[in-house]
Amino acid sequence: MSRTAGAVVLGRRSALALGLVSLVGLAAFAWPLLLRVDPGGAGHVGDAPLVFVVVLPLLVAVVLAEFADGGIDTRALAVLAVLAGVGAALRPLGAGTAGIETVFFLLVIGGRAVGPGFGFLLGTTTLFASALVTGGVGPWLPFQMLAAGWVGLGAGLLPPARGRRELGILVVYGVVASYAYGLLMNLWFWPFAVGTGSELSYEAGAPLVDNLRRFAVYVVATSLGWDTGRAVTTTILLVLAGPAVLAVVRRAVRRASFGAPVTFEAPAAPPPLVPR
Amino acid sequence: MSRRPIHPAAWWVWAGGLAVAASRTTNPLVLGLIVGVAATVVAACRTDAPWARAFRSSLWLGLAVVVVRVVAYVLVGSRTGSTVLVTLPELGLGEWAAGIRIGGPVTLEGLHAAVTDGLRLATVIVCLGAANSLADARRLLRCVPTSLHEIGTAVVVTLSIAPQLVESVDRVRRARTLRAGRTTGRRAVRAIAVPVLADALDRSLALAASMDVRGYGRSGGTDERTRRITGALVVGGLLGVVVGTYGSLDGTTPPALGLPLLLCGTAVAAAGLLSARGRVRPTAHRPDRWDLRAWATSASGVVAAVATAVAARVDPDLLVPPSDPPTWPALPLLATLGILVALLPVALDTSVRRAAAAVRPVSGTAVDLRRPARPDPRAELRPGLARRIEPEVVR
Amino acid sequence: MIRFEQVSVTYPDAPAPALVGVDLVVEEGTTCLVTGRTGSGKSTLLQAVVGLVPRATGGHLAGRVTVAGLDTAHVAPRDLADTVGFVGQDPLAGFVTDTVEAELAFGPEQLALSPSVMRVRVEETLDLLGLADLRDRPLRDLSGGQQQRVAIGAALTTRPRVLVLDEPTSSLDPTGAEEVLAALSRLVHDLGITVVVAEHRLERVLQFADQLVVVDGAAVRSGDPDQVLVDSPVAPPVVELGRRLGWRPTPRSVRDARRHAAPLRLAGLRPPEPPAVDGPVVATARGVSVRHGAVLAVDGVDLQLHRGVTTALVGRNGSGKSSLLWALQGSGARSDGTTVVDGVDTGRADPSARRAAVALVPQTPGDLLYLETVEDECAQADAESAAAAGTCRRILDDLLADATSAPIDAGTHPRDLSEGQRLALVLAVQLTASPPVVLLDEPTRGLDYAAKRALGSALRARAAGGAAVLVATHDVEFAATTCDRTVLLAQGEVVADGATAELLCPSPTFAPQVARVMAPAHWLDVDDLVDAVAAERRTPDPAVVP
Repeated sequence: MSRTAGAVVLGRRSALALGLVSLVGLAAFAWPLLLRVDPGGAGHVGDAPLVFVVVLPLLVAVVLAEFADGGIDTRALAVLAVLAGVGAALRPLGAGTAGIETVFFLLVIGGRAVGPGFGFLLGTTTLFASALVTGGVGPWLPFQMLAAGWVGLGAGLLPPARGRRELGILVVYGVVASYAYGLLMNLWFWPFAVGTGSELSYEAGAPLVDNLRRFAVYVVATSLGWDTGRAVTTTILLVLAGPAVLAVVRRAVRRASFGAPVTFEAPAAPPPLVPR
Repeated sequence: MSRRPIHPAAWWVWAGGLAVAASRTTNPLVLGLIVGVAATVVAACRTDAPWARAFRSSLWLGLAVVVVRVVAYVLVGSRTGSTVLVTLPELGLGEWAAGIRIGGPVTLEGLHAAVTDGLRLATVIVCLGAANSLADARRLLRCVPTSLHEIGTAVVVTLSIAPQLVESVDRVRRARTLRAGRTTGRRAVRAIAVPVLADALDRSLALAASMDVRGYGRSGGTDERTRRITGALVVGGLLGVVVGTYGSLDGTTPPALGLPLLLCGTAVAAAGLLSARGRVRPTAHRPDRWDLRAWATSASGVVAAVATAVAARVDPDLLVPPSDPPTWPALPLLATLGILVALLPVALDTSVRRAAAAVRPVSGTAVDLRRPARPDPRAELRPGLARRIEPEVVR
Repeated sequence: MIRFEQVSVTYPDAPAPALVGVDLVVEEGTTCLVTGRTGSGKSTLLQAVVGLVPRATGGHLAGRVTVAGLDTAHVAPRDLADTVGFVGQDPLAGFVTDTVEAELAFGPEQLALSPSVMRVRVEETLDLLGLADLRDRPLRDLSGGQQQRVAIGAALTTRPRVLVLDEPTSSLDPTGAEEVLAALSRLVHDLGITVVVAEHRLERVLQFADQLVVVDGAAVRSGDPDQVLVDSPVAPPVVELGRRLGWRPTPRSVRDARRHAAPLRLAGLRPPEPPAVDGPVVATARGVSVRHGAVLAVDGVDLQLHRGVTTALVGRNGSGKSSLLWALQGSGARSDGTTVVDGVDTGRADPSARRAAVALVPQTPGDLLYLETVEDECAQADAESAAAAGTCRRILDDLLADATSAPIDAGTHPRDLSEGQRLALVLAVQLTASPPVVLLDEPTRGLDYAAKRALGSALRARAAGGAAVLVATHDVEFAATTCDRTVLLAQGEVVADGATAELLCPSPTFAPQVARVMAPAHWLDVDDLVDAVAAERRTPDPAVVP
């Protein structure tokens, strides 16, 4: 019996599925900017955001199923569940307090220490589990899951480095990811949040630059503080506990010996009957 | 009447119906009625599980949405309507902020529109909050299709581990004082995070062993042919979705390239998801049955949605009262009756609470993630704490 | 039923194999007790039976392991699920779900049994293990014994023919252990399941073992318990007594030993005088009460600790032992009363003053360790205690001087230490500030006999050096051999306080094995009794000659 190296195998097919779903996901996040209204008035345009709300959960499910089909080692699953449990336990502590978001730290560390496929699963599972616990299930959940999955995935794809350089890379990535996540979530919900008719509002069919400007003002006015809070928390946690926690997770991965060779060797002679 | 709780999916259908009803109207009276119905059902049917608290937070969230809408309108809203209530000093932010002006006249019409529109979104959120607090998350997890079995199992484990970790953090913090270390601040982060995580990860190996020897993953694994079919369905479907997405966002493309393709692609990919079952499906112990009560619960939600939608067609001005000029809202009869039907679960589900109360007096079937900072007055009733303090009477 | 043929196991990156050339046969329906020192390869042996070694750990297995005719080289653990059940040390760590019923159903669900069959199995198992009343309870809220019974039940719902248990009672208190072993003996006697169980506290299981396997790395000896026990490296007090006094067959229970000991009891041997249990008072607790919510865990306790005395704090689960220790140390909650150690009021002092006054080793000592090497931990402890560099390491070496295990390498990861070594490290860290009072909360969990002995002598040495030692423990054998004085706590109150021999020996629940064998005389220690017998034999007295 042989095992491929790595905790979660990112096979060709799962990578392809992930790529396609990510593409659709990006469109689902950025629809306010991408939407092009036909002046002739094709009636189906207005429904796009609602359709995404219906379609995205299914697509996230398809990707997760693809990952599972590629074979998640039982031990990887257990480590995944434990780390997601840490995330789910941490999240309510921070949520609601000035953007203190402790989960990103975990996603960055988990993705970095175990790998991109695992990072993606960690992001999605953590957000899903914590939504179940805190009662945060809603149309926004698949969006959060996908975005958090990307954060974990990205952490797994960072260039190899060790020591201070690695910490630096992780901190920069953590900050970028914190803002990117906030922007994506905002972008998607922006049209719903402020409604129409104000100067912060999304205007369907307006030029891209115009909408971007309105969006920027909306972000600055409403959620930049939160995103900054998230970035700061992530940075502080990474600097204070990053190397130590990274070492702990790496040690666990080593002990779980994913992909360690397993060999058997039959006894040379025919089995002697051993008396009790 | 059955002691078992109503199927969790039925709660989501019910709440979805109410949410659809809410999305069809901006009439504050109708919206208020919907919130009232949801609140009554939640109060009657929720358990003591941690997610049952979701309803209250959804009320706060809804309030926040209304406030954001109003503040946004007052500060930067576009000035429609003629009934000026108050004129705020106007401030131009200049070129860098897209020429946005703060302040100006606040009109009754504009405020009315902002409030009613905000209320609509808030009511939708409250309906989702109701579903969150009524549907048992664990039972819902058991409804996942076979191909998501692994992820479902991971989430089940996650849900059982999270509260243990909270306890573990507490224990390590206490131990930390023994080394005269600080339990807050810079250095404590590492000294607390490391033992908690290391402990949890060490245990994950024991967990994996326990799952392995109990047959986990045995029914997984698919043969090559199924794998190929699944792969073709998933990839093909997703390609369709990508094109459909593009089509539906770009209003200039032919309509067939838009939504229809998007939905078809999703359906194909979902078919792939369902076809990816293993040789043997893992079965479920005491599966939740979609019984008569589940039908009735979900139907009551659908009735509310349909009644409101029909009413919106018949009498649009009652359900979406015009803002210019604002009018006093009135209750439309059809929608009101339809929404009141959604109270039906109150009559169906009383048995659950009795059963739950018989099992555990307080604090539900599961996780209590809120660590009480102060001594919890209910602590004497919590079996976990009681066990630590009083000898357990065994059998 | 189980057959090992020339089995050797080598873990990846390990310098030496964990098992070498093991031949072993376990017949159907037998109860096989596996024993050996910590780290001797017991766990490897057990996990090889289920196929977890080498599949889950990586490594190389030479030879062949078959269970019910199935070769573990060809059948994965998950496919063995309906042949072998496995129960680990910490039940909570192995739980997948969070209620009793769901946990029992997990195995059958994976085997894709039909819901009706599954329902029947779950109900049967609930009854078999007496769990029916707990079926909807969250697993977290159960007592340790109940949790372990659920774990056994969860292994049984797949209807295995063999049940393998790796130290199922090592993390339980005596009540819990009793509960689990009673359930186990029922399985053995009523169902005829083949049981392979590893166990530290041999005395409990020996009575119903048909076969004893002693694992000592390379050498694995197996056979009838009476024969193997004669020179097994691990032996409970009765066996040791029997061996040293030359009783044949070696007694396996108190009842056996009492028959052999009849002449000794008549010989009028005098147990040694209990040591003095007073000395200069170093710690005084007055009217200490601890309240958790509405429950009064400690109720107005007055207690004095004396220099040079080791004291055992015994009592049921939940009698307030831990709460009292934490209140004495000062960090724990306290609703009333004062604790003064060496003139310092620990309730008011700051953490470092407390640390200098009282050392407390909590139930899970690993909670205190957070650095990556033993060396770093020691250096950190020196810094925390303002002690000279190297103090902690020296204390650690002293503590381990007695132990038979190899000295700890400075670069070792604290999590890779054995239970005994980790406890020693934490004790050393806590002793670095050289506090006059040392408190330990259940230190003997998971320790084998040798490690306990080493701990006992380390504590006595500390006391001899002028410290007051207080050990909260369930382990009466440890209390009997280590502690001069015993305090009995019940419902948060001190019920009895006195010399260990006077307090423990007459007690039906707390009496150590030697005391039970020699009752009504107050003997606590095998060594004392053997010495007394030897002295008696030198003086010609016909009554003692067997």
